[in-house]
Amino acid sequence: MFRHNTLRYVALILLAAGALFQAFTAEYFGLEILTEILILAMLVLALDIVAGFGGMVSLCHGALMGGGAYAYAIFTTKAGIAPPVAMAGAIALTGAAAWVIGAIGSRSHGIYFIMATLAFGQMAYSYVFETPIFGGDDGLGGISRLDLSFIGVDLNDSRSFALFCLAVLGTVYGTSVVILRSGLGRSLTGVMHNEQRMRALGLTVWRVKADVFGLSGMIAGLAGALAAQHIMYISPGLLSWTVSGEALVVVILGGLGTLVGPLIGAAAFVVLKHELSSVTTYWHLVVGVILIAVVMSRANGIFGWIEARWGDRLDRRLADATRKTEEVLTDA
Amino acid sequence: MAHDLGFWTLQALNALQLSMLLFLLSIGLTVIFGLMHFVNLAHGSLYALGAYFAASLAAVGGYWMGLFLAPVAVAGVGILLYSGLIKRMRKSGPMAQVLVTFGLIFVLLDLTRIFWGDLALAIEVPALLDGRLAFLGVEYPTYRVFIIALGLAIFGALAFVLGRTQIGAMIRAGVDNDAMAACLGINVERLFFIVFCVGCALAGLAGAVAAPLLSVTPDMGLQILIPTLIVIVIGGLGSLKGAIAGSLIYGFVQTFGAVLAPQLASVLIYALLAAVLVIKPVGLFPAKG
Amino acid sequence: MLETRNLDKSFGAVHVTRNVSLKLERGERRVILGPNGAGKTTLFNQLVGELTPDSGSVHLAGEDVTALPVAKRARRGLSRSYQKNTLFDGLTVEENLGLAAAVHTGHATRLWSDSLSKPEVREIVGEVAEQVKLMPFLHAKVSEISYGVRRQLEVGVALATRPLVLLMDEPTSGVGPEMSKGFHDLLNNLPRDLTMLIIEHDMDLAFDVADTITVLNYGEVVFDGLPEKARGSSLLKEIYLGSWENA
Repeated sequence: MFRHNTLRYVALILLAAGALFQAFTAEYFGLEILTEILILAMLVLALDIVAGFGGMVSLCHGALMGGGAYAYAIFTTKAGIAPPVAMAGAIALTGAAAWVIGAIGSRSHGIYFIMATLAFGQMAYSYVFETPIFGGDDGLGGISRLDLSFIGVDLNDSRSFALFCLAVLGTVYGTSVVILRSGLGRSLTGVMHNEQRMRALGLTVWRVKADVFGLSGMIAGLAGALAAQHIMYISPGLLSWTVSGEALVVVILGGLGTLVGPLIGAAAFVVLKHELSSVTTYWHLVVGVILIAVVMSRANGIFGWIEARWGDRLDRRLADATRKTEEVLTDA
Repeated sequence: MAHDLGFWTLQALNALQLSMLLFLLSIGLTVIFGLMHFVNLAHGSLYALGAYFAASLAAVGGYWMGLFLAPVAVAGVGILLYSGLIKRMRKSGPMAQVLVTFGLIFVLLDLTRIFWGDLALAIEVPALLDGRLAFLGVEYPTYRVFIIALGLAIFGALAFVLGRTQIGAMIRAGVDNDAMAACLGINVERLFFIVFCVGCALAGLAGAVAAPLLSVTPDMGLQILIPTLIVIVIGGLGSLKGAIAGSLIYGFVQTFGAVLAPQLASVLIYALLAAVLVIKPVGLFPAKG
Repeated sequence: MLETRNLDKSFGAVHVTRNVSLKLERGERRVILGPNGAGKTTLFNQLVGELTPDSGSVHLAGEDVTALPVAKRARRGLSRSYQKNTLFDGLTVEENLGLAAAVHTGHATRLWSDSLSKPEVREIVGEVAEQVKLMPFLHAKVSEISYGVRRQLEVGVALATRPLVLLMDEPTSGVGPEMSKGFHDLLNNLPRDLTMLIIEHDMDLAFDVADTITVLNYGEVVFDGLPEKARGSSLLKEIYLGSWENA
C-alpha cells in the first residue's frame, strides 16, 4: 500500500529544490537536460503505478508515450487543432489505447504480460513507421508548443518550458498519489498481492487492471505530448520497445513501487547518459553493467536501498522526538 | 494481382526460409524457458555474436570453418553467461530476468562494437552453395535452399532427440515438472546447463547461416529479437511443436502479408499475436496443458 | 439460501462430483465430512465458480448463479475461505480486511476516495476483527503473525464481504487441538442468520458447530441429515471413521 514516510517527503523536497535551482540557474544545455529528466520522470511515474503497485510490468509505455507525441503532432500540424485541445486529445487517445491493452492483457501474467505489452507496443511502432501520414523514418517536424502568452509566459523560452514541465510533473506526482491512495489503487495492490482472493471477494479484476492501466497510459500520453513540444520534432524511434525497456530500467534503478525512487532514477539516468556519452560512445555498456549489478544485488534500486536502511529509523527518531517535545511541553 | 504459380512458389520458399531461420533462434529460447522458466532477452545478441564469429572465422579459414566453429564459440559465451549470471538469476521473478538480460543486450551490443567496430561486415556465400537451383519451375538461390534444409534437418534431429532418446525424456520431464524430475534422480542442474548451451549454439548457428544473407551489424540481434519473441509467444512457450508452428506462422504471414497487403504487413503479425493472446493467453501449443 | 441440483463434474476418467444435490436454509450451519479425495474442495470450487460443473446447477438465494463468474457470485453474497491461506501477504491485517470490506461497500473501484479510510469500511473491519479475534494484530503484517492467527484472518477476510453464505474450507486445518476448539467457539458466536457450509476433518469438532451434516464419498452424497443420526450411522463409520481410524 502506498504511503508517504518522512524519508519520502525529505526526498521530494530535495528533488523539487534541486529542480528549481537548476531551472533558475542553468544555461540552455542544462535546461534541456532538466526538461528531459522531467518528461522522463512523468513516464516512469506512469510505469511505476502499474508495475510497482499492480505487478503489471509493461514494455509498451514507451510506445504509449510515443503515441501521445504523434497524436499531439498530427493534431496540431495536420489537423490544425489548437494545442491545448490537441494535448487533451492526445491524452485521451493514449488513455483509451492503454485501457484496451490493459483489458486484453489482464488475463496474462508474468512473462506473458510482458510479451503481450511488448507486442502491442511494437504494433504501434510498426504502424507509425509504415504509415505515410506519420512521415515514416523521417518523422515529423515543426511542432509548436502551448501558447501561454495570456498569462505572460513564453514557452518557447527554455527556462519557461522547463518550469512548466516541472509544474506538470508536480501535478502528475499528485495525481499518481491520488490514484494509488484511491479505492481503485488499493484494489490494484490487492490484486498484485493475491489476484485469486480479490476475485473471490467479488472484485472484477480485469476492470481494475484496465482502468489503472488506462490512467497510467494517460500520464504516458501527457509525457509524450510534452516530449513532442520539447524537441519539436519526433521520429518513430520514440515508440521503440527499447524506450520502454529504458523506462523500466529507470524505475528499477530508482526503486520499484516507491514512486519517489523512479524520480531519482530518472535524474540519475539522464545525467549518467549525458556524462557518459560525452566521455565514451560505449555508454550503453556502462548502463548495462550498472543495471545488471543493481538487479543482482537484490536491493530495490537506489531509493529502495536508502529506505531499507534509514526509512524506518528516521520515522522512529522523529516519533521519539515529537513525544519528547510533547513531554517537555506538558511538563512546562 | 495476377501472379503466376512460380511467383507464389517463390514466395512460399522465401517464407519457409525465414521460418527456418526463426526456428533455429526460437527453439533454443523456448526450451530454455520451458525448462528453466528463464527469459533470455539477450538471445538475439547471441545470434549477432554468432554472425560476428562466423565472419571473423570465415576471413581466416573460409565459410565452413565459420559455420562450424561459430556455434561452438557462442556456446562458450553461453557457458560464461550461465555460470556468471543466469545460474544466480534462475529463482528470480520474470521482471528481474528481463532486466538483467536487457542489461546484457546493452553490454553485448557495445562489446561487439568494441571488438568489430560499427561498420557492417559482409561474408561470402561459399562456392558450393553459390548459384541457383531449379525448383518446382522456379530458380531459387542455392544458399536459401540450404538454410531451409538445415532448419528442417535441425527440426528433425531435435524431434528425434526430444521424442525418442533418454535425454529427451529427461528434458520433457523437466519441462513438465522440474521438482518431480529432480526426485526421479535426474540431475536437473546439469540438464539446464546442457540445454542452455545447446540453445546458445543454435542461436550462434542461426547467426552464422544468416550472415551471408544480411550484412553483419551490431544491432542485428535487437532486430531479430522481437520476431523471435513473437514466434514463441504465438507458438506457446516451452515446446518444439510451438516453436516450429510459430516460426511457420510468422514466416508465412510476414512474407505473404508483404505481397498481398503491403500497408498492413507489419501490423498484421502483431494483430495476430494480440488475437492469440486474447483467445489462448499461453500460446497455441504450450508445453504444459 | 444455497442449493445445488444434480451437480456433476469429471476430470477425464475421474468422476469427482456425482449428482450432488444440497439445500441449505437461511442460517443453517452445515458441515461436510468425507475422507481425503472425496471431492469436498472440488464441490466448493463449483459452488463459488472457480470450476464449472459438467451438468447441474447452483442457486443462491433462489437465483440460478451457475453461469455467473466468481466475482459476481461473491457480490451476491457468496464468500469463501481457503484450506491453504490465500491472504495478501505483504499487507497488514487491517489492510487485508479493508480490501474485502471495500469490495462489499463498493469503494474498491472508486477513484476519488481512499477505500481503506472510509467510515463504512473501517466499521466492518472493526466488527470482523472483533468476531475473529484479530484486534491485537490489526497493524501487524501477515508475515509477522503466527499460522493460527493467519487462519483466523483467512476466515475474517471472507467475513468482511458481509456474505449471506460463508463457505469455509477446513478453517482449522493445521492448527492444534486447543486452538481449534477456540476456533469453533468463534464460529458458534457468528451471527445466527449467516448460512455456513464448512468442510471439516475433525469429526468431534464438526459436531460442535453443525446443525446438519453431509458426508461425501467418491464425490457422492452418502449421508445427509442431523448430527445425532450421523454419529450413529454405520455407513458413515465404515467410509469415514474407517479411513479416519486407519489413518
